[in-house]
Amino acid sequence: MTDSVADNKQTILSPARWRALDWRFLPAVPASPAMNMARDTAILDAVAAGTRPATLRIWGWDRTSVVLGRFQSVRNEVDADAAAAHDVTLVRRITGGGAMFVQPTGAITYSLVAPESLVAGMSYAESYAAFDLWAVEGLRGLGVQAAYVPLNDIASPAGKIGGAAQARRGGAVLHHTTIACELDTDLMAQVLRIGREKLSDKGITSAAKRVSPLRQQTDLPRDAIIAHLVAHFRDRYGLTDDVLTPAEDAAANHAAETQFATRAWTYLLP
Amino acid sequence: MSGSPHSSPHAIPPFMHGAYKTPGGKMVVVDCAARDGRLVEVVVSGDFFLYPEDALVALTAAVEGLPVNAAVETIAAAITRAVGNDVTFLGFSPEAVGIAVTRAVAEGVEH
Repeated sequence: MTDSVADNKQTILSPARWRALDWRFLPAVPASPAMNMARDTAILDAVAAGTRPATLRIWGWDRTSVVLGRFQSVRNEVDADAAAAHDVTLVRRITGGGAMFVQPTGAITYSLVAPESLVAGMSYAESYAAFDLWAVEGLRGLGVQAAYVPLNDIASPAGKIGGAAQARRGGAVLHHTTIACELDTDLMAQVLRIGREKLSDKGITSAAKRVSPLRQQTDLPRDAIIAHLVAHFRDRYGLTDDVLTPAEDAAANHAAETQFATRAWTYLLP
Repeated sequence: MSGSPHSSPHAIPPFMHGAYKTPGGKMVVVDCAARDGRLVEVVVSGDFFLYPEDALVALTAAVEGLPVNAAVETIAAAITRAVGNDVTFLGFSPEAVGIAVTRAVAEGVEH
């Protein structure tokens, strides 16, 4: 069923439509959680303004964090005392969806930002699948039994591998996805208020076998997985290496300071 | 009224908490209180998607002040009316919010 969904998306969104864009690549540059959120909005605004072509960015994490969905309540999702005790940073993203527990060497996060015309004629649900098609293919190329599961998951028979979320503004689309490679599930269970049954939804198959579904299927180091995925994107759609412009970097710094690092934003829904 | 031991202006009303997982979709959580038979201090949260995002303000305001015994359909209709036609609910619906509200009321005070 999930295969047919992916195939359908391939028809709707032909590779030619993606190749027509001048895709740029921003490799991982480690940053604070707030700065990572801010870079996404800076890129989204630049693409919306027409000053930046479509972009693939790999995130660099510099610390363990919990990234809350735009509409989640801190109190309902996180044990803030446990988070503070374990030096886990809380941050809220601009996109909906569920909380992510992220460790720098355990998570693979990427963002795609493109003009909204790329997904013209598609429903929101269809565009979610379309934006992760290349990653699902890339994972399959590594022997991982990955498939897209509506609405916003990359999954395998062993369990959930990753989750995606989108925001749109000014005629541009931001689609970001986090894939769980390795994670400290004991720490995650202390910080996130999720029931044991929910652990399976966070990429854990069983309490006894605490290995992520992705790690069960490939021994490749995280950096090698990223390199493989990026190479697949480059091969499929074309990709030119790039860096953030000084103006984009300044915009990101401003957004980090005035929005994403503020208590008011993080506790928008207390 | 301010003399009443049950409704001092500084009293914190008991909070109610309810959740509903949309089948095949997302979780909607409602935290609220009741005052004079009305829903107050309503917070709607969850792992859903709503476009545009700012529509959550209108959605929440639509629930605020409704009678505590409002039916799911009444709550859903109020939300639909408040957010307008250009809003997309993804993974949930106005009805899902209505169900979470009625569960919060039925389950009563959070422990």
